Amino acid sequence: MIYVIDHNDSFTHNVVHQFALFDRVECDNYNEISEKKIHQASTIVFSPGPGSPKDYPITSKIYKRFKGKKKMIGICLGFQHILFCEGGRITEQKKIYHGFQSNIKVVNDKSLFQKGKIFKVGRYHSLKLQEPFKSNNFEITMRCLNSKVAMAFENQKEKIYGFQFHPESFLTINGKILIKKILSA
Amino acid sequence: MSRSNQLVELHQSGKPFIIYKSQTGFDLYTDFSKKIVLNNKNIKNFLKKENKKKMKNTDLYIGFFGYELLNNLIDIKLPKQKGLNFPKGIFYKPEKKIKLSNNLNHFGKDFESGRFKININKKSYTKIFNKFKKKIKSGETYQIKICTKYKTKSKIDSLDFFSRLSKTNLAPEAFMIKDKNYSIVSCSPENLITKKGSEISTKPIAGTVKKTKNLNKSKALNYFRKNIKETKEHNMIVDMERNDLSRICKVGTVKLSKQKIVEEYKDLFHYVSLIKGKLRKNINNLDIIKAMMPGGSVIGCPKINTLNLLNNQEKENRNIYTGSFGYIKFNGDMRFNIIIRSILNFKNMSEISVASGVVVDSNANHEFNENFLKAKALIDLFK
Repeated sequence: MIYVIDHNDSFTHNVVHQFALFDRVECDNYNEISEKKIHQASTIVFSPGPGSPKDYPITSKIYKRFKGKKKMIGICLGFQHILFCEGGRITEQKKIYHGFQSNIKVVNDKSLFQKGKIFKVGRYHSLKLQEPFKSNNFEITMRCLNSKVAMAFENQKEKIYGFQFHPESFLTINGKILIKKILSA
Repeated sequence: MSRSNQLVELHQSGKPFIIYKSQTGFDLYTDFSKKIVLNNKNIKNFLKKENKKKMKNTDLYIGFFGYELLNNLIDIKLPKQKGLNFPKGIFYKPEKKIKLSNNLNHFGKDFESGRFKININKKSYTKIFNKFKKKIKSGETYQIKICTKYKTKSKIDSLDFFSRLSKTNLAPEAFMIKDKNYSIVSCSPENLITKKGSEISTKPIAGTVKKTKNLNKSKALNYFRKNIKETKEHNMIVDMERNDLSRICKVGTVKLSKQKIVEEYKDLFHYVSLIKGKLRKNINNLDIIKAMMPGGSVIGCPKINTLNLLNNQEKENRNIYTGSFGYIKFNGDMRFNIIIRSILNFKNMSEISVASGVVVDSNANHEFNENFLKAKALIDLFK
């Protein structure tokens, strides 16, 4: 079972429907987490949402509690949240992408995806990862073709993945293939 | 007696009636046997109530949900606001339905009105605008619609106003309500819910451009496609409406059936998408209304946080504005619009609300003027 933790977003149920193509999905608000469901889940997904990771201490606790024990996936705010818990700094960016379609590129040969491959994706983010960023086993694997901003990370060892863009958006071409690959990793 | 004469007679008799745009003309509903005034307590029961199976074409409730009622339904509390004490929502059970053509042809003469006054001047608007722009930069909202309100003392003939409005702007979700102590006149273009059996659809509009001699349909499409700001706003609304439908629909059934097309109306082009889905088995009408209302395209995104930001800002009750008007049939089918481009007449006051969006690259001056343009089409009826 996949447990999606919602941060009051208006895109979370698109995420739920996309993951539900592959497994049973449960979804609850971040401040109404069920202990029973979280123990049953094989994968925990942190949803997109407004604000910044520091606004959601409950989510940080969940991440730290289950890191390395369950597969974890972060999308947009969820992506930033995992990096924030790993010591990354999340900052405002000059150019803001809301409802924007951009090209991103796989830049790392440790990725599950082929290095050099380009994806067309939908973006909704005010904030970004401030680099340089370093944390054990974490690799930045995709970047925006234009701005070079970090768009995905992968931690194969502990099965932790994140996308700054929205695989569930209608602006992302073949988003479900990305999800399928990460779920079967 | 011709049908339009029947309408005029009904209007002059003072009996309450409702007119709603149909595919071929208008439907007139009257002879109300029940009037249900909604509040935060009785709305759930109203929506959950099982009615006997639909037999006649009048087996339905028709009316509106105001903005405050819809917030309350999704557990968003409004701070104390100034208001007219206008009812939060009203539904009627009609016993008579008459089909009318598009030409209502009732033109009265007499109305009285003062000058419209705006509730937020340009200076305060700019201040709010800049505050919200900061909230976008810090990620608390991605898009937010600031509402401004125009009000005047007035005494109007609502059917005359609606006839004239329909003549210049035959909007697909237009409606009017005339009751003893209030009336609403609207040329809403936007359908929020069409539900037939287990099929549901929503048709958000994001992007409007005025028709001119040189701007035909294909040029309008080009205009929208090249306009990055309109495109981004539209994309956001499409993903948000997909999300709201996904809350109540079966996995894999939510589909974008028309993506960013242009629809042509008498004076305007709208940039429109159509999203459809198939409802899950155990979903009832209360679930649907909670998932879809208030309609996202007139609020901003993400919905909950943006509503909270708006509600903390606004000093005056929105009343009907960005609520929904429509009907619920006894067999569960529904049709609801979003209440925009409307005049509320109550206690000898006329009130017009408008809103336009703050996104990261919008400009306070431009949006303030756009708000005025939207209101002007309605204010001009008072001339």
